[in-house]
Amino acid sequence: MEGRFPDRVLPYLLLLPSIAIIVVFLIVPAVEALRLSLFEVAPFSGRARFVGLDNFRELLTSEVYRASLGVSLVFALGIVTLGLTASLAIAVLASQPLPGAGLCRTALLWPYALSPAVAGTIWALMFDPATGPATVAIRAVTGLSPNWMMDGGYALGVVVVAGAWKMLGFNIVFFLAGLQAVPRELKEAAQVDGAGTGRVFWRITFPILSPVTFFLLVMNSLYAFFEVFGLIDVMTQGGPGGATDILVYRLYEDAFIAARWGIASAQSILLFVMVGVLTLVQFRFAGRLVFYG
Amino acid sequence: MPIAALKENDMIVWMRCSLPSLAVLVLGTLLGVVPAAAQAPVKITLWHAMGGARYDAITKEIAAGFNKAYPNYVVEPLYTGKYGEVVTKAIAAVRAGDPPHIVQVFEVGTQTMLDSGAIIPVTELVKPGDIDFADYIEPILNYYTVGGKLASMPFNSSTAIIYYNKDIFQKAGLDPDTPPRTYQDLEAMGRKIVGSGAAPAAISFGWPSWMLEQAHAMHDKPYANNDNGRKGRATRVRFNEPFGVSVLERWKRWADEKLLAYGGREYAPNKAFLAGQVAMLMQSTSQVTTIEKAATFRVGTGFLPRIEGQPAGKSVIGGASFWVLKGKGRSEQERDAIVKFFKFIAQPEETAKWHMSTGYFPATKTAVGLLQRQEWFRKHPNHETAFKQIQEGPDTSNTRGVLLGNFVQIRNITDTAIEKALAGRLSPKAALDEAAREADNLLEEYNRIHGGK
Amino acid sequence: MARARAPRLASQALLALAALVVVFPVLYAAQISTLTFQEVFVFPPPLLPGRAFLDNLREAWEKVGLGRLLLNSAGIAAAVATGKIVLSLMAAFAFTYFRDFPGKRVCFVLILVTHMLPLPVRIVPTFQLMHDFGWVDSYQALTVPFFASATGTLLFRQFFLTVPPALSEAARVDGAGPIRFLLRILLPLSANNLAALFLVEFLYMWNEYLWPLIITTSDEMRVVQIGIKMLVATDAQAEWNVIMAGVVVAMLPPLLVLLALQRSFVRSIALGTEK
Repeated sequence: MEGRFPDRVLPYLLLLPSIAIIVVFLIVPAVEALRLSLFEVAPFSGRARFVGLDNFRELLTSEVYRASLGVSLVFALGIVTLGLTASLAIAVLASQPLPGAGLCRTALLWPYALSPAVAGTIWALMFDPATGPATVAIRAVTGLSPNWMMDGGYALGVVVVAGAWKMLGFNIVFFLAGLQAVPRELKEAAQVDGAGTGRVFWRITFPILSPVTFFLLVMNSLYAFFEVFGLIDVMTQGGPGGATDILVYRLYEDAFIAARWGIASAQSILLFVMVGVLTLVQFRFAGRLVFYG
Repeated sequence: MPIAALKENDMIVWMRCSLPSLAVLVLGTLLGVVPAAAQAPVKITLWHAMGGARYDAITKEIAAGFNKAYPNYVVEPLYTGKYGEVVTKAIAAVRAGDPPHIVQVFEVGTQTMLDSGAIIPVTELVKPGDIDFADYIEPILNYYTVGGKLASMPFNSSTAIIYYNKDIFQKAGLDPDTPPRTYQDLEAMGRKIVGSGAAPAAISFGWPSWMLEQAHAMHDKPYANNDNGRKGRATRVRFNEPFGVSVLERWKRWADEKLLAYGGREYAPNKAFLAGQVAMLMQSTSQVTTIEKAATFRVGTGFLPRIEGQPAGKSVIGGASFWVLKGKGRSEQERDAIVKFFKFIAQPEETAKWHMSTGYFPATKTAVGLLQRQEWFRKHPNHETAFKQIQEGPDTSNTRGVLLGNFVQIRNITDTAIEKALAGRLSPKAALDEAAREADNLLEEYNRIHGGK
Repeated sequence: MARARAPRLASQALLALAALVVVFPVLYAAQISTLTFQEVFVFPPPLLPGRAFLDNLREAWEKVGLGRLLLNSAGIAAAVATGKIVLSLMAAFAFTYFRDFPGKRVCFVLILVTHMLPLPVRIVPTFQLMHDFGWVDSYQALTVPFFASATGTLLFRQFFLTVPPALSEAARVDGAGPIRFLLRILLPLSANNLAALFLVEFLYMWNEYLWPLIITTSDEMRVVQIGIKMLVATDAQAEWNVIMAGVVVAMLPPLLVLLALQRSFVRSIALGTEK
């Protein structure tokens, strides 16, 4: 193959550090988690009772768990769609050579400097059902006073927006970097040929952005599935009435707060399988559409 | 050996030891040098969850105070996250064989700690005469006493009371010195408050499932079987029986009438109360100091309102306590240090100081007496409400506080049920039935793992 | 001329609006950090900043010893970001620039997998491992387990795939070895990716909370996120003003990294397009 080096040993040496870290710190503990998923475990003594696949059966037949799965999918879909479209739109705006664009670019990245839990705290204060400025504004404009402590759909909406907001900076950094890579001559040539702005974007800019978009799609999905428990914990604790009870929050609660290792391990295995399949699908289908210049 | 001889020998030993050391001390003082202790001080670690305003109270006041009073011992407090995280971290440390000496555990962790096999009950550690537990306020002692043994050292105990905004009461034409005593009072007052436009909503509460537990205890109703899990492990919850359902139906009616503005779990609704957007708040007594500090209006407090026509019970204890972990090879000095530390926090001055800076109970009668002598309660009547409230009512198995395995999860499930009912997604009965089914499964799982008892 | 200016003005306004909306929550947090404890609860909420910022900051700083925590966090985050960059650069290079070798797919999948094993469940086995290593409450424990990076490997691999193969072909023909090619040609080309990855991983580690919480057992090893959590009261009304003062300060180091690297982005890209 063109451009490839013939060395046989070197690639293994290059991979060795990564693989060693992964095996020792991820695979070994994960295998232990897999083993634990077949047990019921007493937290302190570690005394375990073999239960076979009972933990999995319990989860898969549980209405609460299935509801939580549904919520997670909606949540992830919301974060990915909202996060990617909003950040792409903003990045396109910000990449133009406008006066003040540099300042705006910097400001846009700020949210990313916050941890999910801190971001959640700020949003919870803004949307406080009685006193938050966002609630006051909504009340002034619409006359409604929605209470996301009671209204499940509204609560899910708020956590999706907060979750997507927290990732905006991350997405924008990458889209901006990607957009800079689009050769100006190419766009100008297309415009000279009479192509409209929209056409130029979809025909030229977007394909060049596709590796970045794909990367962000994977990253945002993983974020939505794994990293948001801090945000949920601070904002809703899965409530009201289970409306924002996403899988990773259940997992965090069972593993980290309630110390139900067996069932928590089973949940992590299921989550692992689900996200594994999702990532695979993304690589198979979306990955194929990616354009490598 | 005759006693006199023993004393004489002791005297000689004492003289022999102390004369040179006295000389060193004097010399050291003269030279301005503190004599080095013969041994390094015995160190005990304390893992706690006290953040914010409580952090200074536990590190700078309690631990530093102890270390000053007992130079041979050092208590090292370490913040290890919120309550649930503290327990998890302790579990990891126990499993790795290197636990801290003392760990602060919230009340819902009581059953887990009892079954851990990793603790030394306080009764076994403290010798008679070290600490006068008879001096402790009974309901607090009762909560942490299981099977006749005091399992953990009471520290930050609380209960729930009702807070109200006196300014709003006045604006609505109500007597600002009369809080509601019953649910009927609360409803009548609430209608007046909302009707007059004095506030957008009348009532809110934090800790929804704890409030349901409080309602059961306040009216001498069982929350779980086996005497609330105190005779043997609970195997079934009972909050979905007619009484529990009637309480939730009442709350739902308040929500329908726009009297209740549900504001979320734990301390989330405090903000609406402090902003004058809701007139009354059922909340933990642990909030009394900060609420008074934050409020820009006159704050009143009262007993939790009672439901008319129901038998009298008692409000129940919440908060957290100190548990002693076994660990491998704990020396006699370490055990001694732990006892000394407990003795220190049981002192009336320490107990009173902790109460004044937080609002948690002054846990001993002597401390209450001290506070009364200092006229603290006269100047801060809101701090006395909870103490008066738990003096009332009988001591029964229903009022000592429920013990459940997997209690953290069960609280969560009950919160969810209450929210579903208040939002009208399920009827109160259906919501509690669903929650009870899940809770029973969790109890069954817990009992299976921990073996029958 | 006028027709061209109107959409420009519109884009400008739109961009400013977007930036304002995006940044509003941060400004709101900053505003709260300037209020007194009582002012936080005033209704309707005050719109202007108060004057208590320095008091709040002093309280936050003294209570949890923010100075040490900021240093710890910065050191750990920088170490992890660097470690991840080095390891993932090596891995991505191995995946893209060599003839297929046995086990390549397995290794790739293994690296991808790192992102799918959430910490909450691995936490007790990993803790025990650290204990066996004698790493509890050490900087090693706070950094080494994080060195592998699926994000980085994926990112560099994606980037390498867009690099024209003629480049490495030319290097090969010139007799340059793979390491030389990586350091002399690929690395400079990857400058903006390096900066982006450093940023992402620095922030990831800066914001990590659960693992430092579990693995540290002394005040000396504490990180800034735990410090912020310590400001949030247990069983008491949270002092939002003090907490937000802590949040604002904890945000500054990552923001500085962000600003510094943003410039290097632009520079590397500008150089790239002018040539």
